[in-house]
Amino acid sequence: MNHLLATDLISAAPLWRTIDQPMALKALVASLGVALIAWELWWFLGRHGGGVAAREGEAGLQEITITVDGGYAPSRIKVMAGRPLRLSFHRIDPSGCVAQVIFPDFHKTLDLPLDATTSLEIPPTAAGFYPFHCGMNMVRGVLEVVDQNATSASRS
Amino acid sequence: MSSSSPSPSCCHVQATAELADGMERELARERTLLRRKVSVAALLTALVMLSSLPHMLWGGHHSFLPPWFTSPWTQLLLTTPVLFGCGRDFFTGAISAFRQHSADMNTLVAAGTGIAWLTSLFTTLFPQVLIAEGLPADVYYESAAVILTLVLLGRLLEARARGQTSEAIRRLLQLQPPTARVLREGQPVEIPVSLVVVGDLVRVRPGEKVPTDGVVSEGSSWVEESMLTGEPTPVAKAAGDAVIGASMNRNGSFSFRVSRVGPDTVLAQIVNLVRQAQSSRTRVQRLADQVVGWFVPVVIALAISAFVVWFLISGNPVLAMLFLVSVLVIACPCALGLATPTSIMVASGKGAENGLIFRSAEALETAGKLRTIVLDKTGTLTRGQPEVTDFERLPGGALPANTLLALTAALESRSEHPLAEAITTYARSKLTSVHSQLIDRELPAVEGFESVAGRGVQGSIGGQQVRVGTPRWFEELGINTATLTPLVERLEVAARSVAVVVVDGRMEGCFGVADPLKPTSAAAVAALGRLGLQVLMLSGDARRTAEVVAAQVGIERVIAEVRPADKASVIRKLQEQGEGPVAMVGDGINDAPALAQADVGIAMGTGTDVAIAASDITLISSNLAGVPAAIELSRAAMTNIRQNLVFAFAYNVAGIPIAAGLLFPLTGWLLSPMIAGAAMAFSSVSVVSNALRLRRFQPAPLPGAASG
Repeated sequence: MNHLLATDLISAAPLWRTIDQPMALKALVASLGVALIAWELWWFLGRHGGGVAAREGEAGLQEITITVDGGYAPSRIKVMAGRPLRLSFHRIDPSGCVAQVIFPDFHKTLDLPLDATTSLEIPPTAAGFYPFHCGMNMVRGVLEVVDQNATSASRS
Repeated sequence: MSSSSPSPSCCHVQATAELADGMERELARERTLLRRKVSVAALLTALVMLSSLPHMLWGGHHSFLPPWFTSPWTQLLLTTPVLFGCGRDFFTGAISAFRQHSADMNTLVAAGTGIAWLTSLFTTLFPQVLIAEGLPADVYYESAAVILTLVLLGRLLEARARGQTSEAIRRLLQLQPPTARVLREGQPVEIPVSLVVVGDLVRVRPGEKVPTDGVVSEGSSWVEESMLTGEPTPVAKAAGDAVIGASMNRNGSFSFRVSRVGPDTVLAQIVNLVRQAQSSRTRVQRLADQVVGWFVPVVIALAISAFVVWFLISGNPVLAMLFLVSVLVIACPCALGLATPTSIMVASGKGAENGLIFRSAEALETAGKLRTIVLDKTGTLTRGQPEVTDFERLPGGALPANTLLALTAALESRSEHPLAEAITTYARSKLTSVHSQLIDRELPAVEGFESVAGRGVQGSIGGQQVRVGTPRWFEELGINTATLTPLVERLEVAARSVAVVVVDGRMEGCFGVADPLKPTSAAAVAALGRLGLQVLMLSGDARRTAEVVAAQVGIERVIAEVRPADKASVIRKLQEQGEGPVAMVGDGINDAPALAQADVGIAMGTGTDVAIAASDITLISSNLAGVPAAIELSRAAMTNIRQNLVFAFAYNVAGIPIAAGLLFPLTGWLLSPMIAGAAMAFSSVSVVSNALRLRRFQPAPLPGAASG
């Protein structure tokens, strides 16, 4: 049962009433709640993997295909700085929200027809983080452009 | 011929139009689908509500409805298709987002309704558990169904409104006529615009649209360009004039030679620039973006906390569950995400309708905050087509007039300065009228031509050293200019620019050049003043000339005698003096460095060149009235964005604590999950609707125009 005002609740039904719960149950609910919050924040906000690297194509062109289904898979893409990049978006999600993908830093909007692959060429870019998102800004991904020299230096 | 093999890029506008059509169809399909889902969900939800009515009103007793209809099992049967049929996308969306470690709107809706449904399912299956606790074995199916139906309805309204935000671009794309009448082997043939190639001769009849860009070769007419340039009056076109594709031919008919097709046309460039601007973001939005990123996980954490706290306080799991669901469904990250982009979409489209092309959202943002605006004189306030009005011989001159004119024309014809062009034209016309045999004769050869920026030009002709330049230059060179002073003064007071001809160090002659003001300049300057902007004029002219021109348009602050290369440093100095943000208005060619240096560079168009790289805002027409209009539009857009953001933030900041029951101990307010769902569904609708108000924007009329 469900009411708008507490006065109704109190007068009409025993919904708004206090029940004595055993201390152990209270402690259990509290600790489960805290654990759930911690896990949920870790799951959604924590870093999961360093991103997927784009594969090498012809003539130094880097290529990667991103599947659009409720989110971008992969959503964190690692590419080399100073090299051209081709992103191919394969959209299988019918929701209108993801019908566009926007790269604000490149001033680019790409319309993604349903069940098709659409490509976007991005010229060589300086190292940095370049986010992209759907038309409504709810589905998000990031292009992580790393400096080749810096990476090779750290490797050696 | 190239007509048989059109370049693959020629169909750009068409391709864009088709793609836009495709997106349009998809949006329409989405709307139809949503509408169907909303109707089914609404019908089932109405039944669920009817079924739960006796419980709500009379605690389940004395009902006129048959008991089987009011049973929890019937409600379960009615609610399940609403949630997992009509609302299927919320759940699949939430699950795939969850796998991507991301959480969005779908997560909140799916979790909120899912939890209400699961709890009710538990009660339906094991009512004795609750009764044993002393709680009524109530179910909350109707809450889940109502929330889902409202959210779906909100989506439908929002999809409708969103379709209208890109209306301006769609209208622009529809401007281009589908076919063109091209002369092929002397015969007019009607062919699709995509097959027209550069160099084709196209015929345009009265009342037809010009299919692409070109130059009139024959015939004349009045052409309406308002849909592209925002310029209200039709423009006269005759042989040699440029015409823009998609403009409307009025009464005459003419032929034109195609100069640009496909992606190079003005229309295609406008559409492209507007789309680019619509996909950029403002600094304000960067903040909103960061908030949206962690918003949903934090809301989930708050909802769980609300459950735990209420359970600890009351020990009542059902009550705690209701708070949990309310918090989940009232949070609306969508309103935050939509606040800025929708306003930018509408504003940049509105700009394009008025011939104002914003290159980025940031340009729109900064233009609204401007405090100082610097106007270049030549080509911005004036027509930029100077004419010689005075030619005076100077005492001490030794050469005959014709020789002097020939020398001047020879030297000046090598320079690209607009004044030099005026002088060359003048000298040539004088020479032809005096000595008709000079018409086609080559002017004397110039050796060692050199241009001294902001000063003049020099070179040697037949052993004589010739210089044409400003009086100030000759002063600097140590030539006695005392005899010149009264003449220069007289010319400068009449707003003339003065050029002196010096041959072998001897002052020979002096030209007075006038550049008439554009008719709307004074009114536009007044409008800028009314907007509270500090207006400055920048000019390479002598101080006195510049001041006279400035006084004519009502500008008090003048920076004169600035060489082209120094314009950027003048802007920098203004910025350093704290007069910023500073806008610079120029023609975009000579002023490129100054436009780039300014916080907002505004390029005055010529109607044919849209993509002026250095500018942040491009006016397609050369009418200065576009500048105050652009600033007004920016201010309106920024106010709109601010309203949206304040609304979206305030809504969430106020709504979540209420839903969590923070006010309950004080006021007894308990937000029903259904009310929370309704509030959430309409928050993003109201943000989009507010952005759509910008469509009614009209630039204020110029002050002069109103008073006559």
